[in-house]
Amino acid sequence: MAQEVEETMKRIQSHKGVVGTIVVNSEGIPIKSTLDNTTTIQYAGLISQLSDKARSVVRDLDPTNDLTFLRIRSKKHEVMVAPDKEFILIVVQNPVD
Amino acid sequence: MMSDRKAELERKKAKLQAIREEKERRRKEKEQKDVEEATVRAAGADKDHRKDLDAMLSSLGVAPVSDVLSSLSSMNSLTPEQSANATPDASLQPSSINSVQSIPGRRKAPRDLTAVSVAHTDIPPKEPVVYSKQTQTAQTTHTSHDGLSTSSSAYSIFSSCSTTTPTHSCSAGYFETDWWRPRKGGSAPNYLSHAFGYYDEYNLNPGLEWEDEFTVLTFDDGQAEDEESSLPHMDGFQSKLPPGILPHGLPQVKEVQPAVTQVEQEKEKEKPKEVRELSEEEKLMTILSEEFQRFLDRSSRVVERALGESVDIYTDYTGIIDGEDGIDEKSHQRLSLNRSFFCDRWSRNRCITSLDWSPQFPELLAASYKNNDDTPNDPDGVCLIWNTKFKKTTPEYIFHCQSSVMATTFARFHPNLILGGTYSGQIVLWDNRVQKRTPIQRTPLSASAHTHPVYCLSVVGTQNAHNLISISTDGKLCSWNLDMLSHPQETLELQARQSKPVAVTSLAFPSGDVNNFIVGSEDGTVYSACRHGTKAGVTETYEGHLGPVTGVSAHAVQGGIDFSHLFLTSSIDWTIKLWSLKENKPLYSFEHNGDYVYDVAWSPTHPALFAAVDGSGRLDLWNLNQDTEVPAASVIVDGCPALNTVSWTPSGLHVTVGDDTGKIWVYDVAENFAHPRIDEWNNFLYTQQDLKNNKADEELDKLNLSSGPSSLISMPSLSGPIR
Repeated sequence: MAQEVEETMKRIQSHKGVVGTIVVNSEGIPIKSTLDNTTTIQYAGLISQLSDKARSVVRDLDPTNDLTFLRIRSKKHEVMVAPDKEFILIVVQNPVD
Repeated sequence: MMSDRKAELERKKAKLQAIREEKERRRKEKEQKDVEEATVRAAGADKDHRKDLDAMLSSLGVAPVSDVLSSLSSMNSLTPEQSANATPDASLQPSSINSVQSIPGRRKAPRDLTAVSVAHTDIPPKEPVVYSKQTQTAQTTHTSHDGLSTSSSAYSIFSSCSTTTPTHSCSAGYFETDWWRPRKGGSAPNYLSHAFGYYDEYNLNPGLEWEDEFTVLTFDDGQAEDEESSLPHMDGFQSKLPPGILPHGLPQVKEVQPAVTQVEQEKEKEKPKEVRELSEEEKLMTILSEEFQRFLDRSSRVVERALGESVDIYTDYTGIIDGEDGIDEKSHQRLSLNRSFFCDRWSRNRCITSLDWSPQFPELLAASYKNNDDTPNDPDGVCLIWNTKFKKTTPEYIFHCQSSVMATTFARFHPNLILGGTYSGQIVLWDNRVQKRTPIQRTPLSASAHTHPVYCLSVVGTQNAHNLISISTDGKLCSWNLDMLSHPQETLELQARQSKPVAVTSLAFPSGDVNNFIVGSEDGTVYSACRHGTKAGVTETYEGHLGPVTGVSAHAVQGGIDFSHLFLTSSIDWTIKLWSLKENKPLYSFEHNGDYVYDVAWSPTHPALFAAVDGSGRLDLWNLNQDTEVPAASVIVDGCPALNTVSWTPSGLHVTVGDDTGKIWVYDVAENFAHPRIDEWNNFLYTQQDLKNNKADEELDKLNLSSGPSSLISMPSLSGPIR
């Protein structure tokens, strides 16, 4: 099973332009990452906060709604956030091909 | 003399009056002195002159100065705390102290001022409304709190307050109104000249005092939320301060400065600690949890799809357009490479044995793979589900089993189930709803089921009555109910003449038929057979191929004319043959290929179009209405791998090809080529007629060849086909 996780991470990482992949739990603690420790912690903390905020925004607007995906496009990167109940998958990529 | 007496009398009276008055005056002076001495004695030696003032003020009906002073001095004692943050306090403090100190020594006017400031705090709660209406005030209060306070801001506060003074009938009101009048009107009234010196000097002081009060209170309130408990010595002040003013400036100080940074600093301090909380074991535990697996499976799929989308939403059409000649070139091609599916981990060096399309999700393609000789530790059989809709290059689902998968098919009426026929003879069932790559069900390896490799798999029937048909190379046909794979519902032995078992390599059901089917065998013979009825088993034999049959494809296009009796076969003898179920001899033999022909497939949309692949890496598209001698379109796949399977997308616009190295190639078929014109069915009928005639002529030729030259006889029939 752990092998499959590695495989999935590797597969995502192998996509063109992908800079890093991080899996974070609900408390913002990184579980798996392909980035260095400092960057991982930074991303994990900030993105999980942002994701929580975004979720609360969505839920406040419509209590029956929920956040499913979050994309942050910046000049340098694109951060894709796939939030779930327990975990968050963060993928950072360079959108420029 | 009467007049003399009168005059004398009056003089005496006046004298007497003067004496009385002097006496009275002396008495009064004495009394006053006594009173003063008594009060001095009564008052303490330390604050004698304050008491003095108190007595005088109280006699005038004004609050005692000592109260005000004590509160003011307590205020001044607080300001140094604030001076670290707010710059104006440095300049402010001395002046406010001066004012405090100077108050006792001054004339009546300054004393009145302090009294006024106290009286002013009695402003009713509606005051803030006045504040907010005056934009100037709103701005200046902001700046004063930001530490940019100037005399003007102080003035504005004061003036805004002074506009409310008419509500008070206070005696001190007179100079308050004077305060703003000179500025607003621009002319200083003369009768105020006596207070002008005071005005000039107080240009800063009273206002600053006011502001000082505000800032001090604001700050304290910002720090200690409960002002009453934290500042008991200011009770007198608070009670007199307008409730509306305080909160007005508060949030800015409170939110901007210390609170947020403190919280964030705390959080940042906590984070590294939290990270260390998860040890490697804990991480592994989390990773191994089913919840995590499910999450990663779901989210990785989404992310990969998102990653695959290369659409640049920032496309700028005002910019320079790149030369896009390639697209124009492509559109002229009948066959162009769209993409390829390859997974380094799971499909490398694995020969693709079959391809199938999901009926529910037309973009899903199932591909079965043989074993990889280089990786004996990996499972032999692999089945990957690819997605043609998204640009992601990884499989949608990965399934595997212990034995090479020789055939795969979607369980037509169950969108989640995928079936595989294996080399061992087992039939395996995967479900994409469970977090499992191994089969959730498999048929037993027993004499009741298959014990030989299963090359053919097909689901036939309707939603409510369908079966899985599987045929192994020993000629055994099993019919399965998907709900019960432990035992086949029916079995049938396919036997040729002399009870020789048919080594079935390929299977096809004519469109709309669930009973009759066509199988190709290893000995090169093609058989038609039926599942039910009195003569269940092989019904007809079609001989023509000289080598093992590799593929069978039944005509599947519905249209005005029924061609369901037509089928194509491919063989290792380098040929493709067109057959009709009604004839034992092939209608036509396509002998264009120079290698084993591995597979053949009719187009699902065009009645006269089919695709064929061979071992030299060539993909041919034949349009029988255009030409029967050479393919209408042909392409050699990169690297010339042996192409094992070919399959059309349900739309008929793409052809997918599986090679023996594990790569699936998707080719676009030009739309005008893939879509039939309205007369294609009739034309195809004529073409068949032509082929028949040609065949008859050929046979005639053969006969004539033995007797003599035949060109004279065959020529007319070729030029004018009978229609």
